[in-house]
Amino acid sequence: MKLPAHIALTGRKRPSVAPDRPPVYAIVGNPNCGKTTLFNALTGLRQKVGNYPGVTVEKKIGVTYSQHGRPIEIIDLPGAYSLAARSPDEAVLRDVLLGRRADTPQPDRIICVVDAANLERNLYLVHQILDLGRPVLIALNMMDMAVAAGMKVDATELEAALGVPVIACEAAHGKGLVQLKLALSRVELPLARHRWDVPAPIASAVAELQASLVGSDGRPPLIARAEALLLLTDFDTVRVAGSRPLSARTHETLNQWRQRWAGEGTDWSAVLIRSRYDAIGTLCRDVIRRPRESGPSRSDRIDAVLCHSVWGWAVFALIMGALFFSIFSLAETPMNFIDEHVAALGGWVKAHLAPGDLRDLLSDGIISGVGGVVVFLPQILILFFFVGLLESTGYMARAAFIMDRPMSRVGLNGRSFIPLLGSYACAIPGIMATRTIENAKDRLVTILVAPLMSCSARLPVYLLMIATLLPGTAVAAGKKAFIMLLMYALGTAGAFGFAWLFKRTLFRSAPPHMIMELPPYQPPRFTEILRHMAERAWLFLKNAGTIILAISIVLWFLTSYPKHPSPDATATEQIAHSFAGRAGHLLEPVIKPLGFDWRIGIGLITSFAAREVFVSSMGVIFGVEGTDHDTTPLRDALRAAHWPDGAPLFTPLVCLVLMVYYVFAMQCMSTVAVVKRETNSWRWPLFQIAYMTGTAWLVCFVFYHAGRALGY
Amino acid sequence: MPTPPFSLSPLCQLPVGTTGRVCELTGDESFCQRVREMGFGEAALVTKISGTTTSLCLVNGTRIALNHRAAMSILVEQLPASAR
Repeated sequence: MKLPAHIALTGRKRPSVAPDRPPVYAIVGNPNCGKTTLFNALTGLRQKVGNYPGVTVEKKIGVTYSQHGRPIEIIDLPGAYSLAARSPDEAVLRDVLLGRRADTPQPDRIICVVDAANLERNLYLVHQILDLGRPVLIALNMMDMAVAAGMKVDATELEAALGVPVIACEAAHGKGLVQLKLALSRVELPLARHRWDVPAPIASAVAELQASLVGSDGRPPLIARAEALLLLTDFDTVRVAGSRPLSARTHETLNQWRQRWAGEGTDWSAVLIRSRYDAIGTLCRDVIRRPRESGPSRSDRIDAVLCHSVWGWAVFALIMGALFFSIFSLAETPMNFIDEHVAALGGWVKAHLAPGDLRDLLSDGIISGVGGVVVFLPQILILFFFVGLLESTGYMARAAFIMDRPMSRVGLNGRSFIPLLGSYACAIPGIMATRTIENAKDRLVTILVAPLMSCSARLPVYLLMIATLLPGTAVAAGKKAFIMLLMYALGTAGAFGFAWLFKRTLFRSAPPHMIMELPPYQPPRFTEILRHMAERAWLFLKNAGTIILAISIVLWFLTSYPKHPSPDATATEQIAHSFAGRAGHLLEPVIKPLGFDWRIGIGLITSFAAREVFVSSMGVIFGVEGTDHDTTPLRDALRAAHWPDGAPLFTPLVCLVLMVYYVFAMQCMSTVAVVKRETNSWRWPLFQIAYMTGTAWLVCFVFYHAGRALGY
Repeated sequence: MPTPPFSLSPLCQLPVGTTGRVCELTGDESFCQRVREMGFGEAALVTKISGTTTSLCLVNGTRIALNHRAAMSILVEQLPASAR
């Protein structure tokens, strides 16, 4: 009886991993085939997963344990369709597998995760990986999806054909993980017995280049063969960042073959891909049984509506409208609850502590500052709940699909919309997600405009200004939601406008091709969404308890010292005399044309650390300004603020102008740091600060004076 | 009137609901290679699900979205209903 490969050792064997260190496994596969879900299931970590391609853009390392309790290191790599890298995230996969990354060990073994419902296409990457000569395990994932599509995929047949262990599993439901762990625990794994003959006309070129890579570039023979195939058939592959330059001999050999083939006029790249697919077709002949006749699937029927040229837009607008309406209607009760308790705590401190600096620090510095921001937690959680729904159901990729048309008008394509949509939550993951964009110029343009999309940190500023503008519960939530929607639309229009401008000036290039896989729809994974919301809530509260707390304390000190020489000075006179007041007064000439005074100026300076700090700063400044027993909500304190001549400071026009300022201004140090890292230069983050903040000032100036001219 | 067999047209012009066979790729080298690697190369069968400017197609059971420029670069022959 023939035993399956993961029970019996068949085929060629390679030396086992050195016993003094844990074996290193890399998880690889096509985008959106469940790699990170499997990584999380094996390691117990909670890396972000989503039902759209390109969630993982950098390697992640975790540890699992064999059945004997021995540690096994697991590296989760970004998805790719091929080792011929086209984008920075795909280059991470290629470089780790080829041992080109100095910061990552070359994996001893490779877990190829393949989507059982789409086996042939997934096996293309596996086929290239088998060329590397490393022990490979295949996780035949998403078996439930294959069954739902009426397919029968025979794991045993595939194992027999390839000669490597094939484990059928459903990582999302925890099925097949025990068998996978047993296979991971094996001391030795067989090498693939599948043999694939390189097309004859290419074989001599591969042999010559392989010899050069071994002799002059120090590559191991099997890696050299795989790399030779990549170099010969995909000339662009080495140009992606992170590759070591080739030796002069290899370079010359490559050029000779390239010229020779160009003269012959044969597309060897196409021949090679076809040859691999032919081999895969033969392999799968006895592995896959498809249904004879299949009608449109559930996803096809949903796509007929959601990707429709008219209905698609209607649904998109409905989803966005529901998001903003929910932010106001659903969050009101928990927000009031937090607001009342923050006010009660401030009142209790004022009532029970003796007047003095300690009492003022606690009530006006810490409680007003931190409490003023924490009150917006419910809205932020609602935003992340919606984003989680879009990500887990598969709608994210559809949004990119329907947005392709407007994106192409500005010179980008729908693929750039996924980072932009992600930036609604936070610009940092949005900017990281640009690694999936193949064209370097398009990637840079997307990075430059992504922070214009209104992120969750702007939410507290918008909400505070809307509450000041439209106080009380008598105003319909729809009206407030509409103003919020306008701000999001303004940011989006700004991002599109600047993308259009950049693509016609700094980054001229032909409109890009877009080809993107749309994943099947899946029911939302509420556990995953709630976990992500809890992580974001913790991050928000941690931020409030560290950065915002620290800034609130420092700002309280700067607004309280030096003390005004007159003991009878009013609170406003005290702040005006303080360090912060002096700094604000220095800035006032620049911002007065926008309708802002020096106290708003202090908020603009401090919120460069993070936008939500503006709210805590207003809490500290107007908390300090309040009377001893004043614990009114911040919005009421802002409405009571006046210019020295008695004119109200936060007029409806100023509230709107302030929101517009935050739509455009670059007020986030973390984003600046990420842009510097992603572009590997200070040039672009500094350019970004200049163009965004300059635009913010200019737009606010025009808006404010137009409003004034119209009598507002 | 149905399109006669063997006449090539860009993928974006393939009527919704019909199936075609990819015959030629005319884009730049990098695009052609990626399309082929995704199983969308010459001889692949493709069914149009929706779209004229941005196309949504089914290839080997996978839904693939292409923008207008990409769909213009893929030439297909429409297959008669009986040949699918």
